[in-house]
Amino acid sequence: MFASVLSAAIFGVEVCPVQVEADVSNGLPSFIMVGFPSAQVKEAQDRVRTALKNNGYQFPPKRITVNFAPADMKKEGAGFDVPVAAAVLAAFEMISPQVVSGVMMAGEIGLDGEIHGISGILPIVLCARSLGSRFCVVPYENLKEGRLIRDVPVAGVKNLQELVECLKNPEPYLTRKIQEEIPSIINTDMGMDFSDIEGQEGAKRAAEIAVSGFHNLLLIGPPGTGKTMLARRLPTIMPGLGFEEKLELTRIYSIAGLLSREHPLIDERPFRSPHHTSTPQAIAGGGRNPRPGEITLAHKGVLFLDEMPEFSRASLELLRQPMEDKVIQIARASGTYNFPADFMLCAAMNPCPCGYYPDLNRCTCTAGEITHYMGKISRPLLDRIDISTDVPPVSFSQLHCGRRGENSAAIRKRVEKVQKIQEERYKEEKINFNGQLKSSLIDKFCPLTDSASRLLARAFEKIAFSARSYHRILKVARTIADMEGDEMIASHHIGEALSYRAFDKDSVIK
Amino acid sequence: MERTDVKRNHTEGYSTDQIRCIEKSDPEYPQIMKQYPSMPAKLYVKGRLPAPERRTVAVIGARMCSPYGRIQAFRYAKALSEAGVQIISGMALGIDSEGHKGALEGNMPTFAVLGSGVDVCYPKSNRKLYERILWENGGIISECPLGSGPVSWHFPARNRIISALSDAVLVVEAKENSGSLITAGFALEQGKMVYAIPGAVTDDLSRGCHKLIYDGAGIAYCPEIMLEELGISAAKVTQNGEKNNLGLARDLNMVYSCLDLRPKNPDYIVRKTGFSPAQVSNCLVELTLRGLIRESGRHYYVKDS
Repeated sequence: MFASVLSAAIFGVEVCPVQVEADVSNGLPSFIMVGFPSAQVKEAQDRVRTALKNNGYQFPPKRITVNFAPADMKKEGAGFDVPVAAAVLAAFEMISPQVVSGVMMAGEIGLDGEIHGISGILPIVLCARSLGSRFCVVPYENLKEGRLIRDVPVAGVKNLQELVECLKNPEPYLTRKIQEEIPSIINTDMGMDFSDIEGQEGAKRAAEIAVSGFHNLLLIGPPGTGKTMLARRLPTIMPGLGFEEKLELTRIYSIAGLLSREHPLIDERPFRSPHHTSTPQAIAGGGRNPRPGEITLAHKGVLFLDEMPEFSRASLELLRQPMEDKVIQIARASGTYNFPADFMLCAAMNPCPCGYYPDLNRCTCTAGEITHYMGKISRPLLDRIDISTDVPPVSFSQLHCGRRGENSAAIRKRVEKVQKIQEERYKEEKINFNGQLKSSLIDKFCPLTDSASRLLARAFEKIAFSARSYHRILKVARTIADMEGDEMIASHHIGEALSYRAFDKDSVIK
Repeated sequence: MERTDVKRNHTEGYSTDQIRCIEKSDPEYPQIMKQYPSMPAKLYVKGRLPAPERRTVAVIGARMCSPYGRIQAFRYAKALSEAGVQIISGMALGIDSEGHKGALEGNMPTFAVLGSGVDVCYPKSNRKLYERILWENGGIISECPLGSGPVSWHFPARNRIISALSDAVLVVEAKENSGSLITAGFALEQGKMVYAIPGAVTDDLSRGCHKLIYDGAGIAYCPEIMLEELGISAAKVTQNGEKNNLGLARDLNMVYSCLDLRPKNPDYIVRKTGFSPAQVSNCLVELTLRGLIRESGRHYYVKDS
């Protein structure tokens, strides 16, 4: 007898539908799996057979063949246990093959028949929606995540017994209530707000400009002045996510296995802060079956590189291409994977290896050490960072003045307004923000007043910057002008933008 | 002294590329050095040697110096040089380089004594200065054979040559255990005048100078005081480098008056003036473009003189 159920395999952040077919025929008793399953998937046969036996299903000694179609791509993961079990049961006619056809299912089975949660449920349910499946069966643990998609009926099952019952009569399982667990008290984001930062007016202003125009940001300052504190609060002034964006993020996090059970929807902008010992693969994404890296997990949010010069050269240089294209392409023998990587880079560094330059009473570095330290960040990478600002030491009186700054909500309101202006301006183009302006578009969208172009010409001569920096200054000036609602870029916008330009190697020590 | 005898061409016998080895027995070997013990038997020279009939002052100090030290080194070297004094130093980063640059600005040849071979430019970033010293009729001097690298034990030894070649030694900025104090020690042994520029008592970089002053060095509170000691009458008293009535707009003036020779960052100015960060940035850019201030490091500003 032949039976077939629907499941899905994960490739990068994409999902491919997989037909799981089972057939029982006469011959030497065996359990054969074909259709390019990986070693993990092959293990399903022992788990499924043992779990079925332990749940009272006795099979006559026959030849069981399980096939995964399409057969040209490798299937990974433990999520195929449930479809294999259902297909085998249907092939033995212990359940009717009709009830399993057109049902999308995924899940891992223990030897006792318990069904455990897996990662990647949301994209699998999305796949079911596009295929028009009748309904989905997912592990009960993943039910909340699966039900994020409202227009697909999703049933949650805890063990094999429930799976069989659910397939025979899905109704009670489709409307099954999720038992609310006590939410974990640990909430890392609790009460993070911009008003926590005392002083640092210049750095806060730079942060607001950076977020408004989606510019990359570099914070330079001695240890303990609040660089990390500022960076952590950047997502709080970014505009909220749309539902589609939330789903896109949740899909990525689901595949990476980073969703929490109680709160599976990613509804806040991510903040990723990889340690400086992270390998290039951890940052870009990689592995034999590529998994999303830090830059993909920071999609639509902030990628924070603390102690930037301590990162390996390779880890830093790989950021260049995704910073331009907003997507990273990873090629492996098994295929090429595209991961989204539309992040805002925020980097922090000390002004010198000991951290105290230019306070010469405390700094113990030699000129060579400082130049070497600064030189660890390559020119091409610096060229992609539009705004550089310093985060100076804060004095005691500033900490204790009791005057709290603006809160995140007020800043976010302004940022939203500025982003709306940009959305309007770039609706005909492929970009959304000033930070993404290409040099070909700069002339079109950055009109200068006479006094502004005169100032720029003077600065060009005196400071002698490159053509790349020239474009960067214009992009930042565009954002500053937008913040004031000006169509033309005036000289005071250029003046402020000039002060945010990145350091040159020669300007480090003077 | 007449200034016309300094010829600004290269027709006087040797090209700037030519490196000569001068033995102690050669008449060219500086007379002034022959009177001290433990002077090298051979000197390698690229370009020229200091003219014996002219006064010579060594301008020395820390590599990692403050903008204050940098500006003073340049100013003193320039003033001395304009009065016809040859400046000699070690071409290291910081004070040494500024001394050479000030001397070149004052239109007198300047001489660098290296801790490496004369054909090895150390530090490499001073390549331009190295060429300029030779081009302006100055000289590169060393006791190390050609091609030798800059190894740490060469440097204290080359300091004895710096002090031997000069009539007076001016220490601009030095920490308490600085190599500049070694030079000052040699100078005292050789009976030369030692001067130090004072700074704030809280600055580590001025401690070495203050120690020298405590031990009896002259206080070089202005370049003219040194010229007088050297027997040169100072033609004019140079200004202290402060520009006062500049006729700046009110906001520019407020920002400008927050700055001095210690690096200040924009946040400090925001607190002092009460201006918005945007306004301060604008003022700083305007002042930089007018050449009144400059960035001493990224995001740190000092007055430019």
